[in-house]
Amino acid sequence: METVFPFGLPFATGFYLFFYVLTLVIHVAFMNYVLAGCGWIAIVRPRAGNDTRSESTRILKDWLPLMLSGAITAGIAPLLFVQILYKREYYTANLLLFNRWMAILPILIVGFYSLYLLKSYWLKSRANWIIAVISSVPFVCVAFTGYSWTENHLLSVRDTNYWSEFYATRSQVYSESQLIPRLLVWAFGSIPTMCLILAWQHWYRGNGRPALLAKVALVGLLLVSGAAIGYHEVTSDTVNAAFVSTLAIPYFVIAILGLVLQVAGWVWLLRQKQFSFTGLVVTSVGLAFTLVGMTVCREAVRIHTLGKERFESLYPVHEEAFGRGGFLVFLAFFVINAGLIGLCFWLVRTKTLPVADAQHGASIKSL
Amino acid sequence: MNEAILYPVNDFGPLMKGLSIGGLGIFHVFTAHFAIGGGLLLTYFQWLAMTGRCPPARRFMEGYFRTLVLISFVTGALTGVGMWFTSIQVSPVTIGQMIDEFHWLWAVEWTFFCLEVVAGYCAYRYGSRLTDQAKLTLLALYSFAAWMSLFWINGILSFQLTPGVWLETRSIWHGFFNPTFFPSLIYRTIAALVVGTLVAMVAINMASGFTREERAELIYRAALLMTPMALMPLLGLWFVGAMPPESQGWIMGGSMAMTMLLTISVAASSIVGGYAIIGLVRRRLYINGATATVLCVLAFAATAGGEFVREGVRKPFTLRDVLYSNSVRPEEVAKLRVKGLTSVDPYPLRNEKDLPVLDGAPHPRLKTGALVFRQQCSVCHTLAGVNALPHLTTGWDADMKRQNFAKLQKLKAFMPPFAGTPEELEGLVQYIEWIQNGRPQDWPDSLGEAGRSKLILDRIHTWLNEAGTEPNLVRPRHLKQGEGK
Repeated sequence: METVFPFGLPFATGFYLFFYVLTLVIHVAFMNYVLAGCGWIAIVRPRAGNDTRSESTRILKDWLPLMLSGAITAGIAPLLFVQILYKREYYTANLLLFNRWMAILPILIVGFYSLYLLKSYWLKSRANWIIAVISSVPFVCVAFTGYSWTENHLLSVRDTNYWSEFYATRSQVYSESQLIPRLLVWAFGSIPTMCLILAWQHWYRGNGRPALLAKVALVGLLLVSGAAIGYHEVTSDTVNAAFVSTLAIPYFVIAILGLVLQVAGWVWLLRQKQFSFTGLVVTSVGLAFTLVGMTVCREAVRIHTLGKERFESLYPVHEEAFGRGGFLVFLAFFVINAGLIGLCFWLVRTKTLPVADAQHGASIKSL
Repeated sequence: MNEAILYPVNDFGPLMKGLSIGGLGIFHVFTAHFAIGGGLLLTYFQWLAMTGRCPPARRFMEGYFRTLVLISFVTGALTGVGMWFTSIQVSPVTIGQMIDEFHWLWAVEWTFFCLEVVAGYCAYRYGSRLTDQAKLTLLALYSFAAWMSLFWINGILSFQLTPGVWLETRSIWHGFFNPTFFPSLIYRTIAALVVGTLVAMVAINMASGFTREERAELIYRAALLMTPMALMPLLGLWFVGAMPPESQGWIMGGSMAMTMLLTISVAASSIVGGYAIIGLVRRRLYINGATATVLCVLAFAATAGGEFVREGVRKPFTLRDVLYSNSVRPEEVAKLRVKGLTSVDPYPLRNEKDLPVLDGAPHPRLKTGALVFRQQCSVCHTLAGVNALPHLTTGWDADMKRQNFAKLQKLKAFMPPFAGTPEELEGLVQYIEWIQNGRPQDWPDSLGEAGRSKLILDRIHTWLNEAGTEPNLVRPRHLKQGEGK
C-alpha cells in the first residue's frame, strides 16, 4: 500500500487487482454509454421507426440494446474478480440488501425490453404520454441499477459490527452522506463517455454536428467536476487521503490530466463543422486517462477504507486462489476468441454489400 | 471465523431457499438451452437454404432469430447473472469455494460468452446483407460459442455432485472432467437441440406467408435435429451409473420427492422423444402450433424435473465430500460438537423480541435454538412453509426430537450430521417444541434444574457419540475422516 498501484502488493493480489481494474474500465465505458444514452432518450423522447429528431438519437436508439448487452457481458469479468478479491465484503453486502439488491435483475430485464420497445413500430402510433413513459423506463431502470451498485459497494466496506447492526434493523436500504455525491460523479461522468462514443459513430458515418455533442460533453464535464467537489466535501478524511496516497496519486493526476485533455478536445471540436479524427483521438486519450485514473482511485478508496490490517488479511486468500490453476488455459482461449471476434467484425466489414452513406471505410449502414 | 456463521442469513419466509435457486435455475437452463439449440438450428437452416435443399428456410430464419435474440440475449443473459446472485443468497460459502476453485475456467467461459454475443448480434443485425457463406460462418461461430459456454459451465456444475479424484489430487482438471461430465454434457446438448427445435415448431406455425407444404417441409427438417433423443435413455443410465450410490438410491425410491421429479422428467422426455422420432421423423406427421406448444411445455417440465433432481441428489452436500448444505465442512463437525457456534455468531437474532423472557433476558434455550435453526437448518427448512421443520417433526415428543436430531444422518442419509454441542441441540429441540405449541409467552427452561439438565445433556451426548460425526454414506475408505483426506 506504500507504493504505486499495483506495485508493492503481493503478486497474487496485484495480479487480480490489475485484471479487476482493467475489466472494470471496459465495463464502465459500456455502462456510461448506456446510462447517458438512456438519459438522452428520456429527454428527447423519440418516436419509433425512423421518425426521430436527430441522427444522434437515431443512433442511440438503434445501438442501446446492443450496448446494454455489451455492458452486461463486460460486467461479468469484474464481477468474477471482485468475488476473489473481496469475497466476504461483497457477499455480505449482497445478503444484507437481499431483495432490494436482487431487484436489479427484473428491473434490468424491464429496461432491456423497453429499449427494444423503443425500436418497435407499435410505439410509433401511440399517444405522446405513452412514448414519454416508455422513453423514460430504460433510464429509470439503469439508474436504479447504478444506485444499487453504489449502495452495495459502500455497504461492503463497512465493518462486521456495522453489518451486524444493519442486519438487526432488517433494513434493505443503505445510505450514507457520500452515496449521492459519489453516484453523481459516476452518473455525470457517463455523459462525456457517451458523447465521445457517439461522436466516433458519427465520424464513422461522416455525419452529425460536433457542436451539439461537444456542448453536451462539456456540460457533463462541468457537472462531474461539481459533483467531485461535492464528493470531496462530504467524504471522510480517509477517502480524501486515498486519492493523494502513494498508491493512487499518479492515477489521480492522470485522471485530472485526462479531464483537461477532454475539455481541450471538446472545445476544439466545438468549433469544427465535422468530427475530425485528430480531435476525437485527443479526446479519447483524455477519456481513457480519466477512466483508468478514476477506477484505480476508486480501488484505492476501497483499500484505504478497509484499512491496512483488514486488506492485508485478504492476501492469503488471493494467494490460495491464484494457486488453483487454469490461467494459461484462459489466456489461450482469450487470444483465440479475441481472434474469432475479430473475424466476426472482418466478415461484417468485408462480406456485406456496400452502402452509399458509409463514409469512413465501412460498408455498414445504420451502425 | 467459521464459514457457517461468516455471512448473515436471510429468512425466505415460507419459501424454501432451494426452491428459489431451483426455480430461477430451471428458467435459466431452459433459455440457455434455447440459445444453444436455436443457434444450431439456425446454422442448419442456413446451410439448407444456401444449398437449395429447403428454400423456405431462409424466410423463416429472420423471425426465429428475432425470438432468439429477444429471449436468450436478454432474459437468458440476465438470469445467468441472476444465478450467481441467487447462489450468493442461498449459500455464499458454496459459490465462494466454486469461484476460488474454477475462476479461470469461468473466465474462459466468459470469453466464449463474448464471442457468442458478438457473433450472434453480427449475424442477426447484418444477416440480410451478408453473403451466405459469411452468415453461415457467423451462425456457426455463435452456435459453437454457445455450446462451449455450456461445456465449461457443465464441468463446474457436475463437479458439485461428483468431484471424483479431485478429492485426492485437488487438480482443477480432475475436478472439471469428473465422472458425470460427459454424460451430462451430451445429455444437455441433446436437450438444447430439442428445446431449440420445439420453439422453432411453434414459430413455424405462427409465422405468416408460408404454405402448408412449406411449413411441413420446415417441420420435418427441424424434427431431424431431435433424433439424437433416441440416445437419451442410454445417457441417463450412464449419468445415473456415475452418480454416488446414495444419490442413486434417492432417485430410485429413497426420496419420494426426487423419485417423483425424476419420473416427471423421464415421462415428459419420453413423450416428446416418442412424438418426435416416431411421429415427426418416421411418419412425417404435421404438427400444429397448439401441439408444438404442449410439447414445449413438456420439455420445460422435463427440464424442471431434471434440474431439481440434479440439485437434490447432492444432499447432504452442496459440494460432495467438501461442504454440507449448511456450509459446515465434514472435518469441522467433531470440533463443533465441542465448541458450538451460537455463542460466536456475529449476527443477532432478528426475532429475539418475540421470544419469551426468562430472568429478564430472552429465553436462553429458545435463543440458542433459533440460532441453531438459522445456521444449520434454514438453508433447506422453513419454520412455517415448504419443508417446515415443526411440521416434519409433528408427533415427535421432546426425547424423540433429541434422539433424531442427534442421529440426524442415521435418520435420513441425505441429512448432514448435527454440528453443535448438546446444549445447542437441546436449544433446537426446545425452539421447535415452542413453535409447535403456538409460541406461548411462558416457556420453562428444560435445563433449568441441575439434575435434569445433566440427565438430558448426557443422553444427547451419548446419542451424538453413537451417531458419530461422519455422514451416513457409502464412502471409499480413503475418504473416511482421519484416513488420508
